[in-house]
Amino acid sequence: MEFAFTEEQEELRAVVRAFLAQRSRSEQVRAGFAPATWAQLIEQMELTAVALPEAVGGAGASFVEAGVALEETGRALLPAPYLPTVVGATALASAPLLQERVVGGAVVALALDAREPARPVAVARAGAGDAPAAPTHLLDGTVPHVLDGALAQLLVVSATVDGEPALFAVEADAAGVTIAAQPTLDGTRGQATVTLDGAPALRLSAPGEGAAALERLAGVLWVALAIEAVGSADRCLAMTVDYLRERVQFGRVLGTFQALRHRCADLAAELEGARATAHYAAWAVDGAPAELAVVAPLANAVCTRMLLHVAGETIQLHGGIGFTWEHDAHLYFKRAKASELLYGTPLELRRLAARRSGILEPAVQAAA
Amino acid sequence: MDLRHRPEDEAFRAEVRAWLHDHLVGDYAALDGAGGPGREHEGIEVRRAWERELGAAGWIGLGWPAEHGGRGATLLQQVIFHEEYAAAGAPGRVNHMGEQLLAPTLLAFGTDAQKARFLPGILSGEELWCQGYSEPDAGSDLAAVRTHARLRDGQWRIDGQKVWTSLAEHADWSFVVTRCEPGSERHKGLAYLLVPMRQPGIEIRPIVQITGTAEFSEVFFQDAVTDGDLCVGAPGEGWKVALGTLAFERGVATLGQQIGFERELRRVIATAHETGAIEEPALRDRLADAWVELRVLRYNALRTLAGDPTAAAGSASVAKLLWGPWHRRLGELAVDVRGVAATVAAGAPYDLSEDQALFLYTRADTIYAGSDEIQRNIIAERMLGLPRG
Repeated sequence: MEFAFTEEQEELRAVVRAFLAQRSRSEQVRAGFAPATWAQLIEQMELTAVALPEAVGGAGASFVEAGVALEETGRALLPAPYLPTVVGATALASAPLLQERVVGGAVVALALDAREPARPVAVARAGAGDAPAAPTHLLDGTVPHVLDGALAQLLVVSATVDGEPALFAVEADAAGVTIAAQPTLDGTRGQATVTLDGAPALRLSAPGEGAAALERLAGVLWVALAIEAVGSADRCLAMTVDYLRERVQFGRVLGTFQALRHRCADLAAELEGARATAHYAAWAVDGAPAELAVVAPLANAVCTRMLLHVAGETIQLHGGIGFTWEHDAHLYFKRAKASELLYGTPLELRRLAARRSGILEPAVQAAA
Repeated sequence: MDLRHRPEDEAFRAEVRAWLHDHLVGDYAALDGAGGPGREHEGIEVRRAWERELGAAGWIGLGWPAEHGGRGATLLQQVIFHEEYAAAGAPGRVNHMGEQLLAPTLLAFGTDAQKARFLPGILSGEELWCQGYSEPDAGSDLAAVRTHARLRDGQWRIDGQKVWTSLAEHADWSFVVTRCEPGSERHKGLAYLLVPMRQPGIEIRPIVQITGTAEFSEVFFQDAVTDGDLCVGAPGEGWKVALGTLAFERGVATLGQQIGFERELRRVIATAHETGAIEEPALRDRLADAWVELRVLRYNALRTLAGDPTAAAGSASVAKLLWGPWHRRLGELAVDVRGVAATVAAGAPYDLSEDQALFLYTRADTIYAGSDEIQRNIIAERMLGLPRG
């Protein structure tokens, strides 16, 4: 495998980081989604196009590039629907017209089961409405916890059809689609409840391949949240270290107290291990897809738990100021808990990864 | 570094595997991976013979340049060798101090004569080395060494004491950090000397550790001698040379070490099936966690080896801080899956099972080669840039 980033990938990281340092500052994060910023992400940096094929106007790169961008949007807590869009785009291979719209800036949201994303949430029946492209089915179901759902133009929906799971695309403004925004604990990322009542849908996965397609989409989603968490944690630790370098108590800079230094070192070690895991997982999306079933839930469990730890310590190590609404620490702490609880908790995903690896089975022992 | 395996790397892997399959037989196979940290006292004579076998086949000094008798293997090939070695359950190496620590130091800082004198003995597996760094008052704080050396009549004469020297009674030579300028302090005035272990001026006393076995010793120097030209680097510059050695202490062997860890974890899981502990949800989760965290160790090692520029300074300390406590938790699991049965020793007076020994020995993993606390200091200072107190 190729573990080190290429020069081009490092350049992408630098460009995105510099842009977000201007356009995703604290007050902008708190103000929420800014269409002008989203437009710049699309037009200037073509960020939603990175992992899409050149034939539809994409950059033809891999999910590693999307991962580089996600690490940066996580660092800046960018209040924009980048994560669901770039993840959802990976499910559109059979619909080049929809891929083209994503390249052009269409927002995608994922109407998946928020506890077990590989389990279908809606039910499909044959029938055709009037959109998109050539609709094939009608969907029924209620899907809570759809990230950035209120901003979506396109929905990628999991549904059961003829007894098997499948993926569908639904136009957010189609008849039979209701999207109700919900207030969230994590104020930096919106959620909506999507209700589908005979909503016209285009089947994305071929018959017999739906379970694998849904499983892969869940894997990419787990990886995306993992790598975003790494970016967020990196920012938290940097913020904390900066503060400890400046804050003086008892006539000393706080960063000289070994008790505090050692806690920061423990956070750094946990972060570095998680970062390596997330980078490996982002590479595996295209580089080793067969490993994704294990490495994706594993990376998500490791990275979201790590972020909660780092963000919690960020509050503690800042003392009273870290507990205020004014300071950014709580934004990261809330993001951390939401990322942990969505799409399977760390405990559930560790169990899932271990089960899939077979490590705990007696048969594996006999073979070893 | 590109970690994708090319055909020549797969051919190299096949070569290593085939050689191990053909040669890891009889007494060598019977050792079942004995040796290494925690088990350095086991099967010494067989392991010495095994080291010579490795040397004769050219498996020692894989990464050294060909002009010094090495094979010039790539980093990836060295990783492959260590992985296959651990996967085969080959014995713990008796001369990793010589091959992994001293030899790179000589290649970087040694004279031509020193290289010509010592590298062949390491390559053949004939001459074993031990490390003379720690002292009773210079453990984590290496710059506090007091053992001193004076050059008289073309010979260094050494007095003082070293401690925590593994394999001291089996080693032919030691690389010793000494103070060569009387009255010098801290990092100044040190000399890095190569000292023969078998001489009247050296006395070795084994240290019985919490496992009841002894793999470390105290080494007393009383007018011990070595030739005047066996100082690596200039006298007074020993700190630089010693730090160079420490930098070699971790590296390509890491991935092999992790394969050894996975063997241990699989053994603990197999035991959990035998005892029924695997059905206990809390223990089952701890076993799953151990596996998850072992994968994290692996990804972290791959990233470090790949030379990822985002892997900042201090990555060796991060790796130590991740694997030391991991191994300690595995030691706790090893006895927990046996439950109350683990409270009885395998034999009198204090003959411990492998699981009991793992439980006890792994307490050392967070102390030696820089304690966890030292690693945290290094990370805080070099990686995070926090000011010193």
